[in-house]
Amino acid sequence: MKTLTTPRPSAVAAPVPVTPRRRRRPARSAAVWILVGPYTVFLVVFGLAPAGYALWTSFVDKGSFTGGRDWTTVFEDYRLADAAANVATYLLLWLPILLLTVLSLAFTLHARPGRTTSALQLIYYLPGAVTGSAAALLWLFMVSPDSSPFSPLLKLMDIQSATEALSGGSVIAVLTVMGVAVHAGGWIVVLYGALNALPKDVLEAAQVDGASAWRTMWHVKLPMVRTYVAFVLISSFASGSQVFVEPTVLSTGAPGQISPTWSVNQLAYTYATQDGDFGKAAALSLAMLAVGVLAAWIVITRTRMYATDSSDSR
Amino acid sequence: MKRWRAASLTAAAALALVLSGCGGTGGGADGGSGGGKGELLVWVDNTRMPAAQQYKKAHPDLKMRIVTIPPDAGYVPTKISLANRTKSGWPDVVFLANPAEAATLASEKFGYAAPLDDLVPKSVRDGFTPGSLDTCTFGGKTYCLRNDIAPTVLWYDATLMKRYGYQVPKTWAEYQRTGLKAAEEHPGTIVGAVNGKYGAGIYFGSSGCATRDTLSLTEVHIDLGQANCTRVADLLQPLAREKAVTTVVPIDPGFAKFGKGDQILMLPAPAWFGDFMFGPAFKVPKGRIAAAPMPTWSGESKPYAGQVGGGAFLVSAHAGERTKEAADLVRWMTTDVTLQAEQPTYPAFTAAAKKWGEAKSKDPYYAADPMPALTAAASALRPGFGAVRFEADWQSSFNDTLVKAIDSGGNLRSALGSWQDKLEAAAKTSGYTVG
Repeated sequence: MKTLTTPRPSAVAAPVPVTPRRRRRPARSAAVWILVGPYTVFLVVFGLAPAGYALWTSFVDKGSFTGGRDWTTVFEDYRLADAAANVATYLLLWLPILLLTVLSLAFTLHARPGRTTSALQLIYYLPGAVTGSAAALLWLFMVSPDSSPFSPLLKLMDIQSATEALSGGSVIAVLTVMGVAVHAGGWIVVLYGALNALPKDVLEAAQVDGASAWRTMWHVKLPMVRTYVAFVLISSFASGSQVFVEPTVLSTGAPGQISPTWSVNQLAYTYATQDGDFGKAAALSLAMLAVGVLAAWIVITRTRMYATDSSDSR
Repeated sequence: MKRWRAASLTAAAALALVLSGCGGTGGGADGGSGGGKGELLVWVDNTRMPAAQQYKKAHPDLKMRIVTIPPDAGYVPTKISLANRTKSGWPDVVFLANPAEAATLASEKFGYAAPLDDLVPKSVRDGFTPGSLDTCTFGGKTYCLRNDIAPTVLWYDATLMKRYGYQVPKTWAEYQRTGLKAAEEHPGTIVGAVNGKYGAGIYFGSSGCATRDTLSLTEVHIDLGQANCTRVADLLQPLAREKAVTTVVPIDPGFAKFGKGDQILMLPAPAWFGDFMFGPAFKVPKGRIAAAPMPTWSGESKPYAGQVGGGAFLVSAHAGERTKEAADLVRWMTTDVTLQAEQPTYPAFTAAAKKWGEAKSKDPYYAADPMPALTAAASALRPGFGAVRFEADWQSSFNDTLVKAIDSGGNLRSALGSWQDKLEAAAKTSGYTVG
């Protein structure tokens, strides 16, 4: 970075003519507020204020200070370790598979443009069009050999009923497949869009230099879309670590197979709704928020997500 | 500076908006139930809706609002928990499709269920099937009235029994022998299902194993080391090895394959399985299914029944001046013989159950009149099987230990130790002292 040593203006120096800049400032400032304002209000109303209220709830009960009681009770809860292990296993399985699927399909689409590309894009996106509880219900049918279109495959895996498909460790496998199917499509569209926006001359230069499709992907395209990949990672980590709807809905199809406190989020929900203990629910939710923020910070710093092109080029 | 002031003003306004939303009672002036509008607010499931409407019609002077709620486990505590938070919106009367939730709603933390001892005369309470109000009673106080009960009986396929030349077992030892014989002679045949509440409530419940004996709202007795628990493990161990009992939960659509394939020889199950599972779900043709009392455990002379299901009505502790009206509605809904005689499942009120059984006795679906066995089971509910706040954990911990052991060919007696640990942890986390 270049640094210029400018002479310090003397006290008697004539004031710098700044009038034209001052004239622009109110308009620019208004534009900034219009653009950032709604987000700031949403952040405060639905992000910071609830988090602050949760912090208050985790320390104050019926007007009296409870100290760290709720926090210690939560961390001593025998269900937390199981729930955290379930979520961690799910993330370890789901995140790499999702990322690999999204990257490979988006790069393949981009490397071989043609008439089929848009059709394929739609096909990839379709499973992701059904999300949330509807997706979980759909998958409940998918894992029930009597109603599933994949029943021969299920039978091949010796799964005779939804009970078997959703009991024990198989829940994680089902959730992983379901998670990839539900989320991959949307991310493929995002990443494909990012790839399409890459400067053509750079890609042509790589081609002229004799770079293979693989080298172009690995050394040219991937570094240029790394911020998008980081975004996929952060968002997916957040949604994966807060997995709630999927195990909740799947458990309605085969009651008793999936614990109501299977995931950490479900445990927090159980505190609030089944135990009537909002203090513990708030403490656990904040702990999860801390994990999410920490993970996001690691990804952002490691991938230099917010580094601008100009700072990159220095 | 100006910018900061504007930003802090926006933030303060937003925060005030949020906090006012969080802290507001949002209800009427009395902050009580019924939305503070002076009306009797009633929450019932779809099945109970016509009865509630009938009551409303019969009481034109009563301002009453009926709301349909889903029968899902956990729904009512969730809504009550939120009403507790906002200090308004409690229903005056609520129907529980899962009576174990009475333990949650009566607990100090929720403080929702009102004791009914002074609101419903003892003569009325005495009219309920003996033991049926045990799930509503904590520390000597009755917090709910049962609408229906789900005593277990030994359902069996009379046609298959005859075809195979077997006798309906009267003891659990005979049940085990018959099961093993059937598995050997007719592979694929099952004599029971062991999963979640369908395993824990049927086998362990009928044996009197202390998996959830409620002593009060804060004390529970759990002791799986006793003989009445180990005998269940010993009963199931060889049956599980020969696959004479399945770990597929009976409400799984996949269970129908046993029915369609003529593979259900026997199935110890609740009373409502007769009408709602064998025909509609398992597709067993009419004229085949019959009911016998549950087998008798060794050393006992009476065939005790377990329990899986049933519903209950609660009155709100926040009902205030509407308490009497709320209690009257609950009393009518649970004890009116004409109304109860037409309800789908076994009524908890003895006189109503008798009337209800008249139609059941003539039902052509059954191979023989199921009422003698059902009536005997209703009056032989194993005492001690109480409502607990850790019902969901009770089911999932059973699957995590016993069912897992069955599936993996493990030792069921050792699995009892793991189940004990999990049950104790669940009970303590729910605020119980374990005795």
